[in-house]
Amino acid sequence: MVLERDKVTVLDAVARDAGVRVGMKRGGVVTLLPDALMFDRSAEREHDMQRDVAMALLRFSPQVAVCEEETIVVELTASLRLFGGILRVCKEVREVVSAIGVTAGMSVAPTGRGAWLLAKAGRRRVLKVQSLERQLGGLPFMVVPELRRFADWFNGLGCSVLSDIQRLPRAGLKKRCGVDLLDSLDRAYGLAPELHEWLELPPTFSARVELPDRVEHAEAILFSARRLVVQLCGWLAAQQLALTHATVTLEHERGRQAIEPTLIDIALAEPTWHEEHLVRLLKERLGRTELQAAVIAVRLTAADVQAAEPPSDTLFPEPGGSAQNHNRLLELLAARLGAENVLRPAPAPDHRPEHANQWVPVQSGSKNGPNGRPKTVSAPDDLPRPTWLLHVPLRLMVKNHRPFYGSPLKLVSTGERIEAGWHDGALVTRDYFVAEADDKSCYWIYRERPSVTSEETRWFLHGLFG
Amino acid sequence: MAALPTHIESIHPALWRGSQLARAYGRTVDTGYAALSAELPGGGWPLGALVELLVQQPGIGEMRLMRPALTRVSQRPVVLLQAPHVPNALAFSYLGVPVDKLMWLRASKTADALWCAERVLQAGTCGALLLWQQHIRSEALRRLHLVAQATETLLVLVRPLASAQDASPATLRLGVRPAEGGIAVDIIKRRGPAQTEQLSVTLQPSPILLSSYGRVRRHSLAPAFAGGISTKVVASV
Repeated sequence: MVLERDKVTVLDAVARDAGVRVGMKRGGVVTLLPDALMFDRSAEREHDMQRDVAMALLRFSPQVAVCEEETIVVELTASLRLFGGILRVCKEVREVVSAIGVTAGMSVAPTGRGAWLLAKAGRRRVLKVQSLERQLGGLPFMVVPELRRFADWFNGLGCSVLSDIQRLPRAGLKKRCGVDLLDSLDRAYGLAPELHEWLELPPTFSARVELPDRVEHAEAILFSARRLVVQLCGWLAAQQLALTHATVTLEHERGRQAIEPTLIDIALAEPTWHEEHLVRLLKERLGRTELQAAVIAVRLTAADVQAAEPPSDTLFPEPGGSAQNHNRLLELLAARLGAENVLRPAPAPDHRPEHANQWVPVQSGSKNGPNGRPKTVSAPDDLPRPTWLLHVPLRLMVKNHRPFYGSPLKLVSTGERIEAGWHDGALVTRDYFVAEADDKSCYWIYRERPSVTSEETRWFLHGLFG
Repeated sequence: MAALPTHIESIHPALWRGSQLARAYGRTVDTGYAALSAELPGGGWPLGALVELLVQQPGIGEMRLMRPALTRVSQRPVVLLQAPHVPNALAFSYLGVPVDKLMWLRASKTADALWCAERVLQAGTCGALLLWQQHIRSEALRRLHLVAQATETLLVLVRPLASAQDASPATLRLGVRPAEGGIAVDIIKRRGPAQTEQLSVTLQPSPILLSSYGRVRRHSLAPAFAGGISTKVVASV
């Protein structure tokens, strides 16, 4: 439960069952529930949270205002068609808000002030000015902050709802209660123009969230990290930027000695501003991270951004999926398997097969290559090369002066001499043959030239013809 | 009661008699080996379905068997997942698969490999996915098969020959053994009548190029005989 000035303001169902009520003193609560968790209300943190939610909502509209009494006003008129109607927008807003980890009541109205009033009184959705007037008329007048000061007076007049107050003579109201009250009501009814202080965007993004408890497993951080990603996506969408590089910092609990925070770098080949993709990447990266100590806070920083390119709408979409999809797939695979396990070939001009057959991480070459493509070395046309190379050549037994692998091997080709590597200290002097076993499978074997190391002939299996 | 039509298979494309080969339900890609294509429903490897190659051991010609199909689908990337040995890029370019379309994924755990396979299939950006597995549970197979059905990717699972006895949801299962000049293919499961004879397929290109003996054999495409009954074998060059 949450206390403000030693009085209960928010409580959960368990506390209510135990008999705790709103407005109780701290002492009373301790008597009823000795092990209750009590928190002091912090206006600063509430405001921060409100700002976080507003930042996330920026994806729906650039015009988001943080208003008084824990309310956020979003101007959506221009975004309705993009998101496919007011119902869809409401559904998505609700998803975003729940991703941040808070609950919210939502109302829709043609005026910002009207929506504010409806939201304070409950959840309602009106689209026309006439129905807004009807709905507002039924609200108790206490929802309007400017009217609260005069609550006793209005009660004495027999007013209970806003329509009663609308019926009072304006001139008299203006004289007794000031201009503010009438202005506020006019703005709500759409009779006067509204002015909101729209949220100003910070030029850089770096958000931090404290975890509710110390967390030992990296996966458990994902929920809080998701909240940051949602904010980041709102920020990106509002500035029409796409993320290319982000850093996640996991701050550790300060034990005897301070532990350096763990850094997770997320580099993206394809700039993105999609929440789903970022969350999936982060999930895989967190799954692979081992924590040295418990984590107490997470910070997400957008290290590098660039202008977002609008998606190209071709009339007929490519059946094979776009290049962006493929890049996204590669990033996801690299996040799970590690970049060193997602490989593409980079053949090198070398006679030694194991040196010629180089594989490099898919994402590495695109930076230093001239146009992002690996150099293709055309192999000689009629040179048999096995599809599979053994990681380390396998020493073969020799039986009756013939190499033996499962069965005696019969040489079925003339030799191919490969002698190279004198310049880099990895000298090989080998004679390669294609050999056939009794079951007609072919192997690529070589004989090390006896003069080099020892007198005996040594046979090795180096490749398989897949 | 109206009489049944004489050709029951004309009612719906998914219907076929037990004595007939199923018609191509989805798209297929030609195997490049006419004798083999003639025995497969739709005349080739099915796309968007699980295909199992059961090999005696890796490196007996399974990649050359897939060569014409891989060449055809290699406008889009070809993914090798958990390959048994180090793939030799030069050999792949020799087989006709462009080097810049190859991708090799190494996964340390089976769970990771299956996860990758699902992601690759779901993205739908790859032309072919070749997956090597020693032991794979039937739930995983069914899951792969299900994911594959929503795609246009050639999915080939290479398993040991010993798993031929296990049940599998794959639409096509072929057993591969090495043979003189190529391989012998057993059709273990297909949509169509059971095929008991082994099928001889002369693989191109033969690894034995440097010997004059090999050259002669490479060009003489005598029909191979298997099980005492001649099977039409024509190899495309």
